[in-house]
Amino acid sequence: MSLTRIRLLVWKEFLQLRRDPLLLRLLLLMPIIQLVGFGYVVSVDVRNLPTAVVDLDQTVVSRQLESSFTASGYFLVVARPDAETQLTSLLDTGVAKVALVIPQGTQDLLARGQTAPVGIVVDGSDSQIASVGSGYAAQAIARFNASRTAAFTGSLQAPGIDARTRVVFNPTLDPINTMIPGLVAAILMISLMSIMSQAVVRERESGTLEQMFVTPIRPSEYLIGKVAPYALLAVAQLSVVAAIGMLWFKVPFNGSVWVVFVGLALFLLISVGLGLLVSLISRTRQQAQQALVFIMIPTMVLSGFIFPIESMPEAIQPLTYAVPLRYALTVLRGSFVKGSGFEALATPLWAMVGFAIVIFGAAVIATRRRIAE
Amino acid sequence: MTREGEVHGIPADPSAAISVRGLTKTFGNFTAVDGIDLDVPRGQVFGFLGPNGSGKTTTIRILTGTSAPRRGQALVLGEDVVAHPERVRPRIGYMSQKFALFEDLTVDENLRFYAGVYALDPAVFAARRRYILEMADLQGRERELTRNLSVGWRQRLALGTATIHEPALFFLDAPTSGVDPVARRQFWDLLYELAGRGVTLFVTTHYMEEASHCHRLAFIYRGRIVAEGSPSEIRANLSTQRVYDVTVRDADLALSWLETADGIAEAYLSGAALHAVIDRGVDRGAGALRDRLVAAGFADAVVVSVEPTIEDVFVNLVSRERGA
Ligand SMILES: Nc1ncnc2c1ncn2[C@@H]1O[C@H](COP(=O)(O)OP(=O)(O)OP(=O)(O)O)[C@@H](O)[C@H]1O
Ligand SMILES: [Mg+2]
Repeated sequence: MSLTRIRLLVWKEFLQLRRDPLLLRLLLLMPIIQLVGFGYVVSVDVRNLPTAVVDLDQTVVSRQLESSFTASGYFLVVARPDAETQLTSLLDTGVAKVALVIPQGTQDLLARGQTAPVGIVVDGSDSQIASVGSGYAAQAIARFNASRTAAFTGSLQAPGIDARTRVVFNPTLDPINTMIPGLVAAILMISLMSIMSQAVVRERESGTLEQMFVTPIRPSEYLIGKVAPYALLAVAQLSVVAAIGMLWFKVPFNGSVWVVFVGLALFLLISVGLGLLVSLISRTRQQAQQALVFIMIPTMVLSGFIFPIESMPEAIQPLTYAVPLRYALTVLRGSFVKGSGFEALATPLWAMVGFAIVIFGAAVIATRRRIAE
Repeated sequence: MTREGEVHGIPADPSAAISVRGLTKTFGNFTAVDGIDLDVPRGQVFGFLGPNGSGKTTTIRILTGTSAPRRGQALVLGEDVVAHPERVRPRIGYMSQKFALFEDLTVDENLRFYAGVYALDPAVFAARRRYILEMADLQGRERELTRNLSVGWRQRLALGTATIHEPALFFLDAPTSGVDPVARRQFWDLLYELAGRGVTLFVTTHYMEEASHCHRLAFIYRGRIVAEGSPSEIRANLSTQRVYDVTVRDADLALSWLETADGIAEAYLSGAALHAVIDRGVDRGAGALRDRLVAAGFADAVVVSVEPTIEDVFVNLVSRERGA
């Protein structure tokens, strides 16, 4: 590999970028328009919210309360930790989105005709889940209280459960706070992929690709020379989008800069790689555009960007694991809103590493095989 | 079916500019290049002719190391180009009909890019740049975008950039298609100049008149070499036949009459006129053919016996190949 040739390729690429007015528009205007345009998203129905139940009472009443939650169909018990302290890690990693804490002595309090407080903790990092989840929790408790009132027919005053709902991570429940980090990832992906997907196929159409490959330029040099300028551009673009998100929409940032950086860097690489792959296997620019739409639509729908994954039909949900944006969203939302660290986000981060390796491996193979044909 | 060595019966020749044995390329079930043998001596202008889709570009891609053959041996400048394309690439040049310049770069930027790719040192580059700008008649227009140049200039600049590193062997794939005849002639003058400096040229073309510019020719048809030799040797292929040039107002009608007429081996459009090929055995001269045409209702027919052109040979070879 020759550094001189890579430098030449990068130089050439920047000259070309500078002379493409459409590209600059695509790069800077599109993200801003999208950021503002996607600002708010319709709320959707949520079912089977992963729920953790901390039953410290272990009585008939506590079990009745739990079943009134599960009977609604909105909550799915995924964990039964012994202590409230274990909730933090469950919510941190996203294993549970809602937690129900039934304190010791709940049955006794109710039996004595007193009001018993229970705790409901809702993960606010996805505001849709948070608002819908806490609403359903309130309904479940109301139902529980109503059935008890019906049982205590003689009593005038029916004391019951008092739910104290606490929203963690995003206490103000502002949808913007969870939207912006997701938008950053999605916008990055859309614009990078659309620009990148044209990059190689344009040279194939003009014949310059063929010309370059009869010179000493190697496929790996060509790939690096292509990817590097766009990666730099992506960083510039990201700064614009992030600045708008944080200054205009006032999204609080609780997390570690390094987690966001690593997560975005990986996702950026994946987006560039996917665009490159589309470009390499397309014969014409039009084909590349079609392939892009073909990838983009399922990505948007399945990543959890528009609809929470929990709200999707169960048969569809496994498909979401094949969508890189899903992991980027988990990392960004987790880090922006919850302040989760590397440990809690290890799974989605490694998943992105895996995607990056597979995609670039495929790009190298595609370059070797399709350069001339 | 490998025809390795069948034509030449001798192994590939490393001293030749190009020496190919049994070269085969397939795309799925389709055989685009079917066991060809070729020898291109150094310093010659070698014409590689054939109709659309006959396998010319595919052959060039193998010889430039951008496409791997299914079978066969290809020595380019003495090196096995399939195994070691990187040894060959610094010494070859390539120009396709697309004049593959970066259209959104200036004249100078294109030159600098390719000079850098071939790692020319600054002094050599300065000299080459001066030469190319003069040759392409682009002095003073170094900072113009290539996209704004008209075809003739762009073509000469493409020739200049593709030869900036002074390759020993230069491939040209239909370099003059879509160029007007005057520019085409000027372009060939530049090619002669290159050849005069000892560069071997491997040129594909559709234009028959360009074939006679070459030292040697090979005809490829459906992936096979159907004829090879100097232009005069190739013309000798038609020694058992005579070619008549027929000028007539209603050429279309006359052509369909000739195609079915008795004793006419071949009839086709050649420029504005028709060519009729008649086997010497049944040939009774231009007058006899004219009489038949007049009798058939083409009173204004003018018939002249002509020397067969490369195109005549070519049409003939193809029809023989089809008949076979
Ligand atoms: N990548 C490919 N995949 C499948 N078929 C191909 C491919 N490249 C070429 N072919 C086929 O191989 C045959 C030879 O193509 P090639 O481009 O070599 O012809 P050519 O002689 O250069 O034609 P032209 O004069 O039109 O340039 C054609 O039938 C073409 O369709
Ligand atoms: Mg061709």
